[in-house]
Amino acid sequence: MKYTFLYLDPGSGSYLLQVIIATALGGLMFFKNFWIKVKSIFIKQKPQEELKEDERQEQEQL
Amino acid sequence: MASDIARHPSSFKDSNGFIFKHNEKYYRCIHASYLEHYQSLMQSGLYDRLTTGSWLIPHEEIKDDPELSYAGDLIILPQQVPVITYPYEWSFAMWQDAALLTLNIAKASIEKGMMLKDATPFNIQFVEGKPVFIDTLSFEKYNEQKPWIAYRQFCECFLAPLLLQHYCHVETAKIFASYPGGIPLEILKSLLPGKAKWNLHTYLHVYLQAAMKAGKRKDHAKDANRFSKAKMFLLLNGLISYVEKLKPRKNKTTWDDYYAATILSTQYLQEKTRLVQAFLATISFTTMVDLGANDGHFSMLYKNTGKQVIAVDGDANCINELYLQIRQQKISNILPIINTLHAPSPAIGWNNEERTSFHDRVRGEVILALALVHHLAIACNIPLEFIVNWLSAMGKYLLVEFVPKTDEKVKLLLQNREDIFMAYTFEGFEQAFSKKFRIMLQEKITGTDRVLYLMQIK
Repeated sequence: MKYTFLYLDPGSGSYLLQVIIATALGGLMFFKNFWIKVKSIFIKQKPQEELKEDERQEQEQL
Repeated sequence: MASDIARHPSSFKDSNGFIFKHNEKYYRCIHASYLEHYQSLMQSGLYDRLTTGSWLIPHEEIKDDPELSYAGDLIILPQQVPVITYPYEWSFAMWQDAALLTLNIAKASIEKGMMLKDATPFNIQFVEGKPVFIDTLSFEKYNEQKPWIAYRQFCECFLAPLLLQHYCHVETAKIFASYPGGIPLEILKSLLPGKAKWNLHTYLHVYLQAAMKAGKRKDHAKDANRFSKAKMFLLLNGLISYVEKLKPRKNKTTWDDYYAATILSTQYLQEKTRLVQAFLATISFTTMVDLGANDGHFSMLYKNTGKQVIAVDGDANCINELYLQIRQQKISNILPIINTLHAPSPAIGWNNEERTSFHDRVRGEVILALALVHHLAIACNIPLEFIVNWLSAMGKYLLVEFVPKTDEKVKLLLQNREDIFMAYTFEGFEQAFSKKFRIMLQEKITGTDRVLYLMQIK
């Protein structure tokens, strides 16, 4: 094995990789959010409405 | 500054300052070259944010001490860390908490316009049951266009040991002692099972990074200016969720469920517990080292008492379980560490002075050596005389259990070997220990042939 990296700064060489990783994770996040939106079209929003109702009741109690 | 002040042997990598010892306290000298970043740390609100949450060790600035003044430099006195532990003595959950602390500090720093420039676990110590970042000089002003300078270091110093424990065996993190600067990804890759590369994060952070050898690329400056704050948060948040999901690989270790599975369990443990408490009630002490602590049963008897307890065991699973209990119950006075007592942590690093040995760091007024001596004497062939000398250097009082050859556990140790331990008798034991210790109390543990002794150093 060649320890070529011993002569380099610990951060160098990982710069491009960080760009790749951040872009890949950004892409995943985009598709995840997109999927959540698509799902929300087909799934009724009843649970959220119920939650809002509960929150309002709590505020009234306060 | 007084001329007799010398930097600590481990404090030489950072050109912006160093640690030194003065009047039994550790101080940090900050050179003028770092003051701009230091002021930013203090004035941006980052220091307050990090110390309020006990993420960063708090410090005070020393300005009026003539012995500690030096032109242009600033001296700070950090809160002192009672016992130093090294990463190769941590269990999985300790590694994981230390890694998450590092990432969360990096995120908190960005929010205040700064960034963490180092990601080594040697910058973390366990204080009052929690990991704390101890290097006040690891922060620099944040440049949004630059990626994380410490990313590769984080991967080699935190991810690599965690992945070894996740994919291979919990005991493999010990190899970090051989690579204190980080386990090279080439080596990590060769140790991981083939299935590891099918995890997207493992593939990106380990396999792809190892493939992109640093030496082959020369246009780092171009890459360095293609980053953004949003990308940095994606990278850090991605690492956080990745590290959080890692789990220690389930390996059955020798001492798992020792008390639960042992036939001696209930009555023996109750009786021994009663005796330990009764014996220790006769002496006054504030520090204790529990050697061969197993799951920390005896250390836990002193939880939240104001006594500082170090629980040492060679079994990674036992120490991990103990740390999880400490974390869950917010116990501040017990420090769990992994150490194989017949081959404890050596002094490593530059000139063998950078990281000190177990022997040089671990001390206590009371030393607990319960059901330990027979393992050292019979399983490891260590002469009683050696064991006595070793224990006598560690503390003032010794609570030690003698397990004779008539005991089932010793019979097990001897079943497949010749009994060469002629001196391993009650008389031989008392004779050996009497050379360094005075026996204060002794009592047989009911229902067994074992005897518990409380001794004081002569």
